[in-house]
Amino acid sequence: MSETVQVVSFKLGSEEYGVEIAQVQEINRMVAVTHVPRAPQFMEGVINLRGQLIPIIDLRARFGMPRVEHTKNTRIVVTDIGAKRVGMVVDSVSEVLRLATDAIEDAPEMITGVDTEYIRGVGKIEDRLIILLDLAKIITGTEKRELEAADVDAVPVG
Amino acid sequence: MSSSDFFDRSEFIQYFRDETDELLQAIDADLLRLEQFVDTGTLDAEIVNSLFRALHTIKGSAGMLEFGAVQQVAHKLENVFDLLRKDRMPLTESGINLLFEGRDVLTALVRAAVDDGEAPAGVDDYTTRLDDFAAVYDSTAQAIEGPRTVVEEHDDHLTPVDHEQVAAFEAEVERLLAAAAQGQPLTDAPPAPEPVAAAPAPPAAPAQVSAEPVDVDAAQAAVDALFAAANGAAPAAAPIAPKPAAAPVAPAKPAAAKPVPAPESGPKPVAPAPAAAAANGAEPKRAAAAKNQTIRVDIERLDMLLNLVGELVINRTRISDIAGTLGRELGGASAANGKARASDGLSQLAKDLSESSALLARTTNEIQESIMKVRMVPIGQVFDRFPRMVRDLAKARGKDIHLEIAGAETDLDKTIVDEVGEPLMHLVRNCVDHGIEPPEVRESRGKPRHGTIRLNAYHEGNQVIIEIADDGGGIDLQRVRDKGIRIGLITENDRLTDREIIELIFTPGFSTADQITDVSGRGVGMDVVKKNILRLKGVFDVDSVQGEGTKFTMKLPLTLAIIQALLVRVADELYSIPLDAVIESQRIETSEVRTVHGGEVITLRGQVVPLIRVGEFFRLNAPRDPDKVMIVIVGLQGRQVGLVVDSFQGEQEIVIKPLSDVIGRIAGISGATILGNGSISLIIDVHSLVASAYGGGRVTRAEFSGV
Repeated sequence: MSETVQVVSFKLGSEEYGVEIAQVQEINRMVAVTHVPRAPQFMEGVINLRGQLIPIIDLRARFGMPRVEHTKNTRIVVTDIGAKRVGMVVDSVSEVLRLATDAIEDAPEMITGVDTEYIRGVGKIEDRLIILLDLAKIITGTEKRELEAADVDAVPVG
Repeated sequence: MSSSDFFDRSEFIQYFRDETDELLQAIDADLLRLEQFVDTGTLDAEIVNSLFRALHTIKGSAGMLEFGAVQQVAHKLENVFDLLRKDRMPLTESGINLLFEGRDVLTALVRAAVDDGEAPAGVDDYTTRLDDFAAVYDSTAQAIEGPRTVVEEHDDHLTPVDHEQVAAFEAEVERLLAAAAQGQPLTDAPPAPEPVAAAPAPPAAPAQVSAEPVDVDAAQAAVDALFAAANGAAPAAAPIAPKPAAAPVAPAKPAAAKPVPAPESGPKPVAPAPAAAAANGAEPKRAAAAKNQTIRVDIERLDMLLNLVGELVINRTRISDIAGTLGRELGGASAANGKARASDGLSQLAKDLSESSALLARTTNEIQESIMKVRMVPIGQVFDRFPRMVRDLAKARGKDIHLEIAGAETDLDKTIVDEVGEPLMHLVRNCVDHGIEPPEVRESRGKPRHGTIRLNAYHEGNQVIIEIADDGGGIDLQRVRDKGIRIGLITENDRLTDREIIELIFTPGFSTADQITDVSGRGVGMDVVKKNILRLKGVFDVDSVQGEGTKFTMKLPLTLAIIQALLVRVADELYSIPLDAVIESQRIETSEVRTVHGGEVITLRGQVVPLIRVGEFFRLNAPRDPDKVMIVIVGLQGRQVGLVVDSFQGEQEIVIKPLSDVIGRIAGISGATILGNGSISLIIDVHSLVASAYGGGRVTRAEFSGV
């Protein structure tokens, strides 16, 4: 009997993604998001989660997929990445899965939808392919881009 | 039982550090006061005693913690003060310098001991010099190597109470009291009693079974310090009375671990210091400080409390919103359908809710104010380090400088006090280095030889003003201008006002290569100072009159966490503008907006005010109103800028929350707040917004440099 990991699976378009359950704080319905101007374009904004300000990332935008209208299935997956709490907008949340670790393979070249940089591996369960995300990279990438953006927008503070 | 079984060592080390920090600060201040007596042949006995006590306490606590090096240096310094107070050593320039140096050595040693760091270099060299110095005046000084050796010598000398010594000491006390009563300076102690010289001969107490001999009198001091801490007395209180007394009578204590002073010897020795001091009238301040009962609280606990209060404030606003809405809805409903009876009960409830929400609001306000007050500390904490710094720097530069400090008791939020130290230090250094001229130059200009730097702090409304002024040469505008041209900030043809020229010094990199405004060649320019102050939501200003001096003024908020803000609507989002930046709001006809160099301006009471359209700056979908513009006039360094918004939504108290660092820093936004209805409002950072909006062009940069 091999080891298993528990994964929260969700959908972006037709593809199915997974995030390790330990990193998921909670899953919320879509709420009003306050737009933060001049932030990187995949930053949807911030929400008020019981008095806490949580930044929201539009995962579609992050992965360069076309944006879609929010529906009643749209969810915010609130994750804890290190000390940072970040919400991610996804099309819908499917279920909690158990994946055998030996059924997880390295990200194959064939995946085109998502920059492989953010992928930890691909899990197979029956016919389904679950793309496992490396959340830390999603955020580090954010900071990297943010810095680049700041360069362009350099503020001469004197 | 070893002494370390009595207490949690790490906790005591923490206490030791805090206490010693304060004592070292006090030593610095006392040395500066003492310095005025150099070569005058007189001394203020109270100052010497206070120094002696402080060192004695440090020595005692260090002994308790087995910080041998600290203990040894403190002991040697204490010895010098003993010679001084017995008038066996004159106070000389070289002597006081050696004492100042000793204070620094001690500071380094304490730091090394507390942090388990490496012992600082040069300690041995220093103690040798100190010994040599003292030896000239006291043949016994070299013999007294340190308490430890002495204790060993007298190991078999187990007299619990030396009555002769106590009697001798009492005689000494009476003599001192009599002298004090007559207002005489404390002169020669009769050689016979020599209480302190005799002090390091305590027998090893029977209760001390520890392998290492323990300096009883040091241990006593440490125990006293512990008790002072336990009683919640201000640490300043610790050195007060018992210590100098404890020295001579220490041999009377059979057990060092016994904290309560032996009744027959305890109270009496307490007398001399305060009495002598009272006689010369210099004591009251210290005594007042001692009376304040204080406890030390971890700043993190206060931060947490403040956060919780922030939540409370948000919910308070929310509840009063709900109460208001409920009242209106019920009123409207009953008026509409006339069913007054049905809503009677509800109306009453709404009224009750509204009343208790008002009560809740009041209590919350009080809690909030109290917490703010708890976090307030006097700016003196920062000022205290400057007298010494100015003295040393002035000496090194061959200048004669008086530092005058006023308003040290002005208090503001701990966070701000912590942050403001660095910029203040740069400014003071700047005054010493470049403001005040050398004595000869001053004389030739018809000024007094000594320059004066004035540090002043006071409250003004919801702000604290800190001024640093010198009567030096002022900023050399011509040289600043030349430099500005040389490094390409301005051109020969630019016509700048004096003020605009001064602003040039805040340009990053401006000052580093030139001596005009350079802060001691450390590559830290005025731009950093200014940036730090702006980060604290402060305002920074310079006034300079050539030949007469320079004055730096900073205006800081009392606190950072909760502020008054003006809410405005821009493209359907609510933004908050901190009220301290707002001068006024104006509704202006679109026809009054003119264009100059492609930028929009209005003329307000004869002054040209540039406009920034917030919606467009933030790249929001904000169509322009064809008829009117709503403008919030904000003040920046005495200039005005108009922020164009869609509408004004009133003032409100808001709790500042930082935006997640996942989002990063965004020009024009300093954070966010949660409003009463649960929605989020971003807080506009006026400084960075204006700086960013005008960031491109060279001319505008000169105009807004430093923003």
